[in-house]
Amino acid sequence: MSEQSTEQILADSEYKYGFVTDVEADTIPMGLNEDIIRMLSGKKGEPEWMLEWRLKAYRWWLKMKEPRWANLDFPPIDFQAIRYYSAPKQRSETEIDPELQKTFERLGIPLHERNRLEGVAVDAVFDSVSVATTHKEMLKEKGVIFCSFSEAIREHPDLVKKYMGTVVPYTDNYYAALNAAVFSDGSFCYIPKGVRCPIELSTYFRINAMETGQFERTLIVAEDDSYVSYLEGCTAPLRDRNQLHAAVVELIAMENAQIKYATVQNWYAGDKDGKGGIYNFVTKRGHCKGRNSKISWTQVEAGSAITWKYPGCVLEGDNSVGEFYSVALTNNKMQADTGTKMIHIGNNTRSTIVSKGISAGESNNTYRSLLQILPDAKNCRNHTQCDSMLIGSLCKANTFPNIEAENGSAVLEHEATTSRISEEQLFYLKCRGIKEEDAVSLVVNGFCKEVLKQLPLEFAVEAIKLLEMKLDKSVG
Amino acid sequence: MAVVLEQEVKKDEYVAGFDEAAFRALANEAETSALRELRELRFDEYRAVPLPTKKMEEWRRTDPARFPFDRMKRLPTIPRGVCAPHDWDELFDVVVSVEDAAFDIQDRGGVLGDGKVLVVPLEEALREHADRIRPFLEKRARAEAPDKYEVLGDAFWNVGLFIHIAPGVDLKRGILLRYRQSGAGGILIPRILVAVGERSNAVLVESMESPDGVEMMSVVSREFHVAEGAKLHSTTLRTWGDRTVHLAGDWARIGRDARLEWITLNFGGRLTKVRFGSDGAAPGANAELDGLFFASDEQHVDQKTLQVHSSPDTYSRLLYKGVAKDKAYSVYQGQIIARPGAIRVDAYQRNNNLVLNDGARADSMPGLQIDADDLKCSHGSTVGNLDEDEIFYLRCRGIDEGTARKTLIRGFFEDVTGRIPHECVRKVVHSQVDAKIG
Repeated sequence: MSEQSTEQILADSEYKYGFVTDVEADTIPMGLNEDIIRMLSGKKGEPEWMLEWRLKAYRWWLKMKEPRWANLDFPPIDFQAIRYYSAPKQRSETEIDPELQKTFERLGIPLHERNRLEGVAVDAVFDSVSVATTHKEMLKEKGVIFCSFSEAIREHPDLVKKYMGTVVPYTDNYYAALNAAVFSDGSFCYIPKGVRCPIELSTYFRINAMETGQFERTLIVAEDDSYVSYLEGCTAPLRDRNQLHAAVVELIAMENAQIKYATVQNWYAGDKDGKGGIYNFVTKRGHCKGRNSKISWTQVEAGSAITWKYPGCVLEGDNSVGEFYSVALTNNKMQADTGTKMIHIGNNTRSTIVSKGISAGESNNTYRSLLQILPDAKNCRNHTQCDSMLIGSLCKANTFPNIEAENGSAVLEHEATTSRISEEQLFYLKCRGIKEEDAVSLVVNGFCKEVLKQLPLEFAVEAIKLLEMKLDKSVG
Repeated sequence: MAVVLEQEVKKDEYVAGFDEAAFRALANEAETSALRELRELRFDEYRAVPLPTKKMEEWRRTDPARFPFDRMKRLPTIPRGVCAPHDWDELFDVVVSVEDAAFDIQDRGGVLGDGKVLVVPLEEALREHADRIRPFLEKRARAEAPDKYEVLGDAFWNVGLFIHIAPGVDLKRGILLRYRQSGAGGILIPRILVAVGERSNAVLVESMESPDGVEMMSVVSREFHVAEGAKLHSTTLRTWGDRTVHLAGDWARIGRDARLEWITLNFGGRLTKVRFGSDGAAPGANAELDGLFFASDEQHVDQKTLQVHSSPDTYSRLLYKGVAKDKAYSVYQGQIIARPGAIRVDAYQRNNNLVLNDGARADSMPGLQIDADDLKCSHGSTVGNLDEDEIFYLRCRGIDEGTARKTLIRGFFEDVTGRIPHECVRKVVHSQVDAKIG
């Protein structure tokens, strides 16, 4: 596809982040083997222990079989046809390429610390590497470490060694093993004891290069009595080939600590016929390690050709709390198999799950979850609300919850509904002179309200706009 | 939908003792060519279905290897004979008793004489009522891919029964089907085909029992056809002995404006895996499905229900209530399936579980699989113990704790027991519940 026609498509398309940035890239050859991993590790100037860990993960990955149990349909992935490292060439250590700067500005992400999202510190990841992290100095004063993962390996090896892979070990699953072997960058965040992180932290992921995969790793550690709120956003250019994004996110909350993690995912979802788009196969897990800790996941999944992820919480500390708020929207030929896992290990642990699925076009939207109460976990509590809305007659919505109660003192409630967008509500709004499309987005906003209100204000506004944009032309 | 965790499906695999050689011996003993042909046809279907493995979503919690097919033998085809009488016999129009060595059909209400109601062994139906049974051999009630054990029953049954009710018949007192298995090491394989004609009204009660302490097994495969405007009320009571292993695969196909009411009551058995599906096959079809289970000691009860809606304007409502006590493990898997084009469907599914003590376990997997848009499908599921506040309330009124618990558990089941129309069945349910609470 030539640049010209890409621009043309862009003009007509609802996906306004589908442009390509023309920067010189530093890449390594395509394919995957131990030499590639050595080369990748060498490029990043990693210490020996990191390389060893990668190789261990790679060897483990070789022994694994690609999982196929999800309710998803996609052709086999050729892992040798992916370029595992691509980084924009930086001119100097301190300066950001103006092209890159422009890219992030077009995406609405300020790399200079003077923009409208002033209260947010951003780590911007472009293809395989982090290009800039803002507000570092201010955070440093508080003792908060917020930097790219590569930097953390260099500057804070003890912390990385201590926590990396403790929540999602490389043996966890196929894509987690692959990620551990080839991950290129990501964010690292450490909140020391008793610190309430003064601003929102955020990472923006951008895939630019062709035929690359993005494999980033995020690790957030909140020490005793600390608090952090973290946001993640993602986009990619329009391409007619599928690209793989297999990330790992690990969260660790110690005693009385609280982590809020929000994702607004808008990877390129492919065109109307399902051509192209990102395969978003992500492992996200939080570990409530200390007593009274709390981890809260909020996700707005509006992009990707295929979304396959289950952000979960391991509730180990007594009285710890896990939350999962999700909106998953699929349109055209998109597929999503997403939900959560809540593993209750500690006593008096509580979890709340609110999931809203919206299927339009010919898409297939599946909610899948695991709620497990281990035999020694007393007085656990869960409430799950899981609703699906159907727009159009060719879409599919599935709900597959798994509830396993091995302790008699647990109180678990699960409720799910699937229904079409209410004709009556649309009619009511239309009677009042509201256009059908606006009426649909009002109803959808109302449907998702419980989840959207969990997002910080600026993100909530963007998420609403995103949902509107995605549903455009899907009615009627 | 059977989700296979890993693609390792093999064909031409046989359940231990149910292989080609065993089938040939069985086919050779068939009296008529019609019977032989039917068995052959079903055996081919059986052969094509893969064996379940622990990797399949449906079998993850109940390892198929736990079914002791290798230690048990299929009971020889059961001939007609005389069976022991039972108190309930007087309450029904037709009584079918099935024992290890004989089965018996008794016309208590004098309803079989005019041929409008047909209750005959399968081989006799094939021989003498071919025109009446033929449509139901061709059009199956199964709306989803069958399980290996359902098709095993189709091919290897040792007692087969065809019940056909002509259009416009009101069979109020209904039919009682009593299975009393007693011999150790035997596998009873009933194959039941029920067809209720247009605008007819039928009642069916099935009671399955066996003595405690004897290891045996039953594999039941049933198909129900409810024709246009007809109504079938079916009650299944399972009070198997404590070492009986039970497998069942049941399907009901519901026609235009027809209604099925089905109550399943599971108490006995060491290991039970039952699968039941209803299919709203024409507009106006209505399925009311209720279930109750009480698992205690080391019982393992795995139940799967499927509410299929293959036609628009169909309705289904399901309520399954269960208690797990001691070291019991109960599994409930439910699926509402709306096929493409099945619009204006209204389906509801509810599963409530009480886990009475640590060590007992209840898994609940309600599911929705929706391929149509203009509809309303929902499910609700709860797991919990008795409400301490409610116990306290009763104790404040001078009721001792044991009685309070018993009252609350009985109350918990009342939604389902209250729907059982037969006094005799309700009595058994109450005594089973009381005995299990202890």
